[in-house]
Amino acid sequence: MSAGSKSLSDVLARDVAYSGEGISVRSLEDNIQEERNVQDTKVSELKVLRDRNVVIQTAMADELKKLRKFSDYIDGTATKGGFWAGFKEVVSYIPGFKSIAISKRSIEELLKQQYQVSAKRVKEAAGYCDVLKQSEQELYTEINRINGKIVESAENEKRALDYVLDLRTMQEELEAELQTIEAGSVEARKIETDQDRIRALLAEHSTNVQLYGAAENRYASLKENTRKLAETIRNLAQDIQQYTTAASIKLDMASAQIQAIGRAADASVVMLEMKKSLDVMTESMNVTTQFVSDTQIFFRQNLDKLVEELETFDEGTSALLDENLKKSKEIEEARIQSAIDKAMKSREKQAEGGGASAPAEG
Amino acid sequence: MNELVTLHTQALRGAVVPAYLDKLIAALRAARLNNTYPDRRRVQGSLETMKLAMEAGLYEQVYVDARAGLPNMASFTRVLTDHELAGGSLARMSETAHYEQKRDEAEVYARLLDKRRYFEAIQGQPHAPLDEHRVQLRRHDPATGTAEFRLDLTKLDATGLYVRITIELTQVASAWRRKVIDLDADGESAAANEAFHATVYRNASYDAEHLFIHMHDIEGVSVDRVQRGVIGPVLFRLPHEQGPVVPAEPDQGNPRLGHAWRRWLESASSDEPELLMCFQSDIAARDVREEKSNDPIEDLLSSSIQASERARYQHTRERFPFKVFKDRKFVVTRGTEGLVRAVCQAAGTKNLIYRLR
Repeated sequence: MSAGSKSLSDVLARDVAYSGEGISVRSLEDNIQEERNVQDTKVSELKVLRDRNVVIQTAMADELKKLRKFSDYIDGTATKGGFWAGFKEVVSYIPGFKSIAISKRSIEELLKQQYQVSAKRVKEAAGYCDVLKQSEQELYTEINRINGKIVESAENEKRALDYVLDLRTMQEELEAELQTIEAGSVEARKIETDQDRIRALLAEHSTNVQLYGAAENRYASLKENTRKLAETIRNLAQDIQQYTTAASIKLDMASAQIQAIGRAADASVVMLEMKKSLDVMTESMNVTTQFVSDTQIFFRQNLDKLVEELETFDEGTSALLDENLKKSKEIEEARIQSAIDKAMKSREKQAEGGGASAPAEG
Repeated sequence: MNELVTLHTQALRGAVVPAYLDKLIAALRAARLNNTYPDRRRVQGSLETMKLAMEAGLYEQVYVDARAGLPNMASFTRVLTDHELAGGSLARMSETAHYEQKRDEAEVYARLLDKRRYFEAIQGQPHAPLDEHRVQLRRHDPATGTAEFRLDLTKLDATGLYVRITIELTQVASAWRRKVIDLDADGESAAANEAFHATVYRNASYDAEHLFIHMHDIEGVSVDRVQRGVIGPVLFRLPHEQGPVVPAEPDQGNPRLGHAWRRWLESASSDEPELLMCFQSDIAARDVREEKSNDPIEDLLSSSIQASERARYQHTRERFPFKVFKDRKFVVTRGTEGLVRAVCQAAGTKNLIYRLR
């Protein structure tokens, strides 16, 4: 085998070093599933947050209602009878205040209690922010990992392609060489043996071309979804930070006023002044309630859509992998059929030529 | 930091915060507070929590009452809400080892590590309430319907001071009379009714004498003892590159002390944090032998009452068999010791003065 012999042995003996773990349809599916699990975990965390959001929103709406009513009644605008007429109803909204006349409780004390409840609610809402920022960071770490996988798959695909091309060139050379020598001769049988080895290698590495190519595309789609999820979470965290910072600043600034007005109210000095103090606290609660309400919309608009997209992606991935599997099987079958065709042709040729040697079985 | 950011409120930031909190904590320890005063360990616990929170970077500032010199309600509420939320937050957070491993990867992990350590450090630790009421039954005689109680109210007062009021009283039950304290069916535990509780709460800023008279006027109640222990006001001078940080409204805390403080400040030049902390005790009780004020900055009601009101006041006092004793002790740094001694000397009082080392 002239110049081709050395080249042939080189090509056949070549150790094609793919980076990373070996690949198969199964392992690719498993790896993609593993990455998807990370997304699912984050989405589950968001769903938990959404549930907590509902709880906090309900509580805050309730608190805000109390504060607003209290504020309105103090203003004397909520009832025809003015302040005192509605006071008893109002105080029933305040913690521990049910069916007790206002004169029996200290306004300073009740305002302090309400202040503490408001501060706790704002802090609970702000607590989301840390959870979300950690999730966002973890998703960006995941994106880095996926990027590594994408590059690795692209490099492996290129290696497989290069090798497949070398094999194909070698296959063509062997085919040409085979034409120049007597069919069924020892030399011809040796070439056929080499051709079989090349065919086996072609089958193996052309599958790798497909798998690594598919992996690259799948990881790229996965990355896109992960990035979307990370951005969704980042936007939510930024909104939360903005709202809760504004609310907590208002509360910090209101604390001395709450005490002063409560004390003044206890001394029955400036009852109406209390409204200003309450308005500050109501505003703070309002800001936070608005935030919680907005996040509900945010969750509805983003999280549900995102989950839907991820699920579609799942279905798409599975369908594509199934299709790949189906195609691989078809190609294999075509190859086998092609080999059979070739063998049949070879047998026919030999039968016509007097049958120097029997064709190979199978 | 010497200007007000809102009503009676200053915001302390940066290096002055630990210096301020350390001095307060040391002063509380040095003051040797008995149970007349708000629970020292709990107030100290809150101050230590504030310090930890600042170290963890959870807050940018500590809000201080410009009159009382103590952290204000916003600052004490932060401590309370952090304690309330610590358990739940820890359950939702990742483990410490996770954050330690990732702290260099991103700023968020370092911050969460600090936050986790903060929550771990404060969980289960004592902390001061904004308000706390307790009623203890001391003695109960079902045969005569007589019950002796001790009411205990701790309150972060609207004046910015931490106040504890203990009232010992005897109640004689009667079918036609509304009781101020209700016993449970077994006669073992007690709770003040809302109106009585509110009366004590509303009058917490006033002195023991005022409270005694006010409580004693309630039908069916005989007051034996009213005791007040007050933490604050605190005056401080904290070195800072842009000039020393001092309370903005010391005159509103106590006019006499505020005036002396302003004069002292004119010549103060120390590079060390300076502090002066007051601990007032005020008792109105049947067993006080001599009516006297050993408080150099607050007089007895009898000595400050207007001439036109004196006759009515005398008549009221004659109705109630009690005497009043006011006292005040101080914790000082080296720089403020002279100031306190001069104030006491001017008032002719002999007070306990503890020096911080």
